[in-house]
Amino acid sequence: MDNAIIIGAGPAGLTAAVTCAEKGLDVVVIDEYMRAGGRLLGQLYEEPNGNWWNGIKESNKLYEKAVDLGVNFHLNTAVNNIENSNGIWTIYTERETFHTPSLLLATGAAEAPVPVPGWTLPGVMSVGAAQVMTNVHRVKPGERGVIIGVNVLSAAIAMELQLAGVEVASLTLPKTNQVTQDAGKPKEVLDSLLHVSHMAPSPFVRYGSKLMKNDFMKKLGVNFFPKKGVKMWDIPIQLRKAVTKIYGEDEVEGVTLATINADGEVVSGSEEHIPVDFVCIAGGLYPLAELAAVAGCPFYLVEELGGYVPLHNERMESPLEGLYVAGNITGIEGAKVAAAQGRTAGLSMAHHAGMDDLDGEIKNSIKRTEQTRDNAHIQFHPEIETGRKKILQQWDAYQSNKERSVVSNSRGGIT
Amino acid sequence: MKEDEMIICRCEEVSYEELKTTAAKYKCSARELKLRTRAGMGYCGGRSCRTMVDKIAATSANDRNRTCVSLKYQPPIRPISFKNLGG
Repeated sequence: MDNAIIIGAGPAGLTAAVTCAEKGLDVVVIDEYMRAGGRLLGQLYEEPNGNWWNGIKESNKLYEKAVDLGVNFHLNTAVNNIENSNGIWTIYTERETFHTPSLLLATGAAEAPVPVPGWTLPGVMSVGAAQVMTNVHRVKPGERGVIIGVNVLSAAIAMELQLAGVEVASLTLPKTNQVTQDAGKPKEVLDSLLHVSHMAPSPFVRYGSKLMKNDFMKKLGVNFFPKKGVKMWDIPIQLRKAVTKIYGEDEVEGVTLATINADGEVVSGSEEHIPVDFVCIAGGLYPLAELAAVAGCPFYLVEELGGYVPLHNERMESPLEGLYVAGNITGIEGAKVAAAQGRTAGLSMAHHAGMDDLDGEIKNSIKRTEQTRDNAHIQFHPEIETGRKKILQQWDAYQSNKERSVVSNSRGGIT
Repeated sequence: MKEDEMIICRCEEVSYEELKTTAAKYKCSARELKLRTRAGMGYCGGRSCRTMVDKIAATSANDRNRTCVSLKYQPPIRPISFKNLGG
């Protein structure tokens, strides 16, 4: 039996592990990947102060700190089920079964797919896969590619590919359909990009974002958005184009690119062929909450957080005894917020293990998470704060419902 | 290849058209759409197409239940060998 088990060795899980170990708990960390770091491993970007954020270095720092503190790692180990009985969580993996009273799910996020005709051809991959190949394994996904789906993540990875000497022929939209929906509509995409426009080195985009504060100007902006696109880090960002097809005999040979109007409708006759040897699809991230669902944790759908999120409070407690959540499983945000949440979760777990006098530290850690969120360089969803409020409201509603039913049950018992 | 012919669920080879027309006809939940078409019921356990089935259902369904995950997760949530499953 271990004092605390953490599933997921990303920024949230590693920080929680370090926090628990510092408080004297025996900690086990399990991750399905063969290296610790999670999505942090792929990150490489320049911060506004000119420093480079190197995710591999940050991962190693956290990992080594955890190992020094005696944290026990089981990498390359996938958890396939969790169960609770009599207050003890059982964690099933292919090789071993673990037990603990205190379990943290820091399983992060997964990428949503973007269906495009021809997307089942070899050479089509998610943008995160291209990032891992390039930054972690140091293998080029191809020589020249197109990224379908324009969002914060895909723009950052486009730049990383370019740094690695891989040509990105275009960062463009998918054709709109029932799945891609707003991701295929220039107006909506531009809207979602406006809040990150301060990142754009191109004066056009920066100027444009100020111009487009009201909807009328936004529409004008899209209508006048150059068909060729604008260049960011020398990569053409084409919001008025969409990939209608990925073609090739046995593997990707190219994409068909068409001009679209502001609502995403294809202008017929505008199709052109762009030869490429790989295609990345970028549908955005959603919280990876399978284990919370299997455990029977209550959920709530919050679009601002990226999808279905297990109910939790600011102390990172789920409604289930001894089950905690931290990081992107609670909503899509950056690595620094995830780490801050991981620290709070670690403290809550230490408290659960019987450590007293942690309330002050937990409160500070919650405050620090909020500050980290406010100072975040980029936000994956502009309404993240609204989403956070929604989930806390749902938590409160759930708790008061539970109390009411406890009261009525006990009344039933008396009569 | 036309858009309607593209495959959404690779394991069960369910096309976009089949999902779209089924969702429009029955205005059903994601779960019902899954059961009617088998999309998401293959060996990957819906890990690839889950969000797409969800979205297609949501475009025609009348209302969405926000309090529980629309398509159920079942253990094992990762592949395990038959030997280890057996004990």
